[in-house]
Amino acid sequence: MQATLNALAEKAATEFAAVMARPEFEAAKARYVGPNGELTALMKQMGTVPKEQRPAMGKLINETKVRVQALLDAALERIAAAELRAQLGPAVDPTLPSPDVGPGTYHPLTLVREEMCRILRKVGFTVADGPEVETEFYCFDALNTPADHPARDAQDTFYFPESARFGNVPKKTAEEKYLLRTHTSSVQIRTMLKGPPPIRIVSPGRVYRRDTTDATHSANFHQLECLYVDRNVTVRDLKALLDYIFASLLGKDTKTRFRPHYFGYTEPSFEVDLSAQHLPKVKKDWIEIGGCGMVDPTVFSAVGYDPEVWTGYAFGMGLERLAMLLYGIDDIRYFYQNDLRFLKQFA
Amino acid sequence: MKISLNWLKDYVRLDASVDEICRAITFLGFEVEQVIRTGAPELNHVVVGEVLVRDKHPNADKLSVCQVDIGPAGGVKTIVCGAQNYQVGDRVPVALAGAVLPGNFTIKQSKIRGQLSDGMMCSAKELGVAEDASGLLILTGRPALGTPINDVLPAGDTVFDIEITPNRPDCLSHLGIARELAAWFKTELIYPQEKFRGDTGATQRPDLLKSVRVDAPEDCPLYTAHIITGIEIGPSPDWMQQRLTAVGLRPINNLVDIGNYVMLEYGQPMHAFDARKLGGNEIIVRRAADGEKIVTLDGKERSLNSRMLVIADATKPVVIAGIMGGENSGVTDDTTDLVLEVAYFKRKSIRWTSRRLGLSSDSSYRYERGIDPHTALEAAYRAVDLILEHAGGQVVGPSYIVGGDVPWQREIVVTHGFICEKLGFTIPEADMEAAFEALELAVTRKEPTEGRGTAWTVSIPSWRDDLDRPIDLVEEVLRIYGTERIPAAVVTAPGLAAEDDPVVLFNRRVTDYLVGHDFHECATYTLRSSREVAAWVSQTAVAELALANPFVDDQSHLRPTLVTGLLDVLKLNQSRGVAVSRLCEVGRVFIERNGQNLECAAVAFVMADDADRKWQRREPADFYAVKHHVTALAAAGGIDLNRQALVPVTGSYLGWQEGHCAAAGEMGQGWTARFGLLNLAMVKGLGIEGKVYAGIFAILPEKLTGGLARRKYSDFSLFPAALRDLALVVDQDTAAETLRRKLAELARAATGGKFAVEQIAPFDVYQGEGLPAGKKSLAFSLAFRAPDRTLTDDEVNAAMQQVQDKIVVGTGWTIRK
Repeated sequence: MQATLNALAEKAATEFAAVMARPEFEAAKARYVGPNGELTALMKQMGTVPKEQRPAMGKLINETKVRVQALLDAALERIAAAELRAQLGPAVDPTLPSPDVGPGTYHPLTLVREEMCRILRKVGFTVADGPEVETEFYCFDALNTPADHPARDAQDTFYFPESARFGNVPKKTAEEKYLLRTHTSSVQIRTMLKGPPPIRIVSPGRVYRRDTTDATHSANFHQLECLYVDRNVTVRDLKALLDYIFASLLGKDTKTRFRPHYFGYTEPSFEVDLSAQHLPKVKKDWIEIGGCGMVDPTVFSAVGYDPEVWTGYAFGMGLERLAMLLYGIDDIRYFYQNDLRFLKQFA
Repeated sequence: MKISLNWLKDYVRLDASVDEICRAITFLGFEVEQVIRTGAPELNHVVVGEVLVRDKHPNADKLSVCQVDIGPAGGVKTIVCGAQNYQVGDRVPVALAGAVLPGNFTIKQSKIRGQLSDGMMCSAKELGVAEDASGLLILTGRPALGTPINDVLPAGDTVFDIEITPNRPDCLSHLGIARELAAWFKTELIYPQEKFRGDTGATQRPDLLKSVRVDAPEDCPLYTAHIITGIEIGPSPDWMQQRLTAVGLRPINNLVDIGNYVMLEYGQPMHAFDARKLGGNEIIVRRAADGEKIVTLDGKERSLNSRMLVIADATKPVVIAGIMGGENSGVTDDTTDLVLEVAYFKRKSIRWTSRRLGLSSDSSYRYERGIDPHTALEAAYRAVDLILEHAGGQVVGPSYIVGGDVPWQREIVVTHGFICEKLGFTIPEADMEAAFEALELAVTRKEPTEGRGTAWTVSIPSWRDDLDRPIDLVEEVLRIYGTERIPAAVVTAPGLAAEDDPVVLFNRRVTDYLVGHDFHECATYTLRSSREVAAWVSQTAVAELALANPFVDDQSHLRPTLVTGLLDVLKLNQSRGVAVSRLCEVGRVFIERNGQNLECAAVAFVMADDADRKWQRREPADFYAVKHHVTALAAAGGIDLNRQALVPVTGSYLGWQEGHCAAAGEMGQGWTARFGLLNLAMVKGLGIEGKVYAGIFAILPEKLTGGLARRKYSDFSLFPAALRDLALVVDQDTAAETLRRKLAELARAATGGKFAVEQIAPFDVYQGEGLPAGKKSLAFSLAFRAPDRTLTDDEVNAAMQQVQDKIVVGTGWTIRK
């Protein structure tokens, strides 16, 4: 019997070693320990064995059973490992490029706009928005730009025919015309009309001028304006904001300077120059970057704020111009051509 | 506006350097666009010398070694020279060691080809006085040896090209700028002193001009005329010609030049008539008759109307008031008697006429911005002086002064405290007062106040119409005090606890999504062509989206979509050989609905075949990839596209390929989405290679709510789901969604609410062999689950059986076994 069992165990070892896949394994397993298996058959013979031999016999069969099970486990482990190996292809060449397109890129105007908005959010400005189609009231009248002001000329501003109707851009008066906003200051008016001060907003957005397109002019471009309305806002606060913005953008040693200027909606008004040492391609010491001033009392009156109580400042700049200065871009048209060799340089 | 430094010096003592003056002009609030040097620059150590000896250089054929006498102080210098155009005895400019010539060229003693040279004889170009570099500048008139060259050469000038802001018409003149500079440098303004003061001694009106009448005093409050006879037309004096040339005007003759000169001096335009050409010997300032014609000095015939102001004689208009004279009455070379008009016209009238006629001039430019209503007579006297001096003649008859000075009295009361409050820092009272006085803003009264310092009553001069309120004086004080002295400060920012606008949040969310999915964000123009709007939307949209005054033909309409702009970008990149596939844009579009335009926030993208050859090919984009992205974009706008009916795009939206695209929403609900394959023929027609898939989502800004609504949480079952599959054979145009809904309805009924139908999802679509023609098979996987127990096969099978039995009833669908 012992010899039979040994022979069986050895035969099992040989057979299991040749098993390479799961179905063969199951078949082999059945041949030994299945209901009709050889080892099972031997165990069934136990009943015919004389009583006194049974303990020794039982021990022998048990040992063989353990041995076969170990062989089975080993075979299964080998097969499972082979199966996992089969899931792999050949080793990769990590130096091959990914065939997927991408990565995506943000437009440089978006990058500059968002950076400015982040800087301004830190000092309490929230981002406001308003329509690009505007009416004369929001774009001009409320901003102290009277009807015969040259800025309102059909030569410089895009107008819509009197018949044009814009369902979600309400007019202030029936006679006023629709136009494409020439600055984002109209958002200031809409924001002030919406609620009482204090107000601290930044309004980036697309604006339109009736102009020849060339390296520095574009029929539409983008502006970013800040408006702060509160009690006791001063020129010094305005200067502090500008210093803060450009130090954040270009480094602590960046300076700004104010040159007195004229805008209808601010008094006093200034043009803002930026010390240009950190800007590529700029050969001058100072470069003009935007306009600003203290909100003119007539603007407050137009939106129903008491000019005796409320004060404020406003600052505006062109986003294309800022991006051109920051990156050293020479031609404004590149922003609108979207050559991928251009777009991919900024992300 | 060009301003000559030499000219300015007539009115203000300016010892400062050109750079300092530029800085002053800049910080006074006027941008210096350009500084132009004319004539000789300042040349130290350059003197007059005479060539005594000219010998050939021993070591160079083209050079000479000269002995040059530079006078008793300098003696005789040995100078090597390469020029050929001079002779012994010529006097020439000699730059001595230490001289710095234009271009930062420093002269020093040197050896040239072994020969010592102690200076340089100069050409006109080397001195920076002219472009002539052909030889030495030979000085005529034998100036004394050793004379500094600046004493010999014509004086140079510096011209500042200055941008004058529209609020400061008073600075469209040399006196105006001089006044500002006098204030800045704290020095005195010197006014011209006229000899003629309007007193002609005559009482009798001469026949030459018997009457002057103003019929439109509302447009012309003051009209003055002086008659000067016996003048002689000729060139104006050299100094006047030089000044006019320096500021960019071409000298014409003494009369025209004097008119221009006084205008540039005072900012007051004027006009001269040939007195003999005035029909009826009278002047009438009146409105033109509708259709009346005049040929202006530029040779063009202008048709006038009754809002336009003209100067007329008895029969015809001779000048368009304040804008341009007529050919019929102007001064010519044989003019001997003239009428000099100096008037005050209202800005509104001149501006309207100038715009209407598309005609402007130096004169109208000033009237439009507003001239000092009190300058007319001073300027007239000044011009009379200059005419008598440089053209001869005499004033005849008394001055005509019709109308009078517009009453001007303006006082502003401002306190020291007010100005400091607006500035946010303190400027001493004395400095403020000095600033007022320097700008001729006379302080007429000073009173102490309680806690706000001195209250000044400031009298505003007639040329400062821009100063009207106390706040206006804050700027004046700050200008003179200096904006560079605003002290630094830290931004103080009390939190306002506000959130960014919903549109801003939406834009940011969708841009992040698309860039995160490998799209390149683009910016394209808002204005598009009518042809494109017609093709993309409809003729109605063409009518509604049109601008009244487009600048160029192909940018005449608001964009109804962002997709066409992105197609342009595809094309541009393809034509430049740049591999391109995924592009997106976020921006406004304008959608016409029932004759109204709606401005919408929008996001769009395109996915084109990537032409780049790659070592491994990826699946190209398809309709369902586009649907996936549009669904995500709509979700950013608060719209769940899975709960929306999707319909094929049909009708006028020619841009889309029928059968391969879909639409959801409409502007009545406040939003719309379209996506799928772009029309193959259209894309090809545009010159774009390959298939292009696109998607756009547009929503009314007012529909966006910023934060997305907080979802409600529901408990989920921890027991296993029971899964069943069911395949149905249906007509091939039956929508999967129709089946899914029917299945959902039946399954819910079959479970009788005892357990849930968790999901019904298509997992196979088949058409072809084994199925009748025109049919397709759609297989769904159904998941059932109970919240509180493991479902038994029996109950799930019973429910499924019920679904199978009922779904074939009346639908024409069959179960695929």
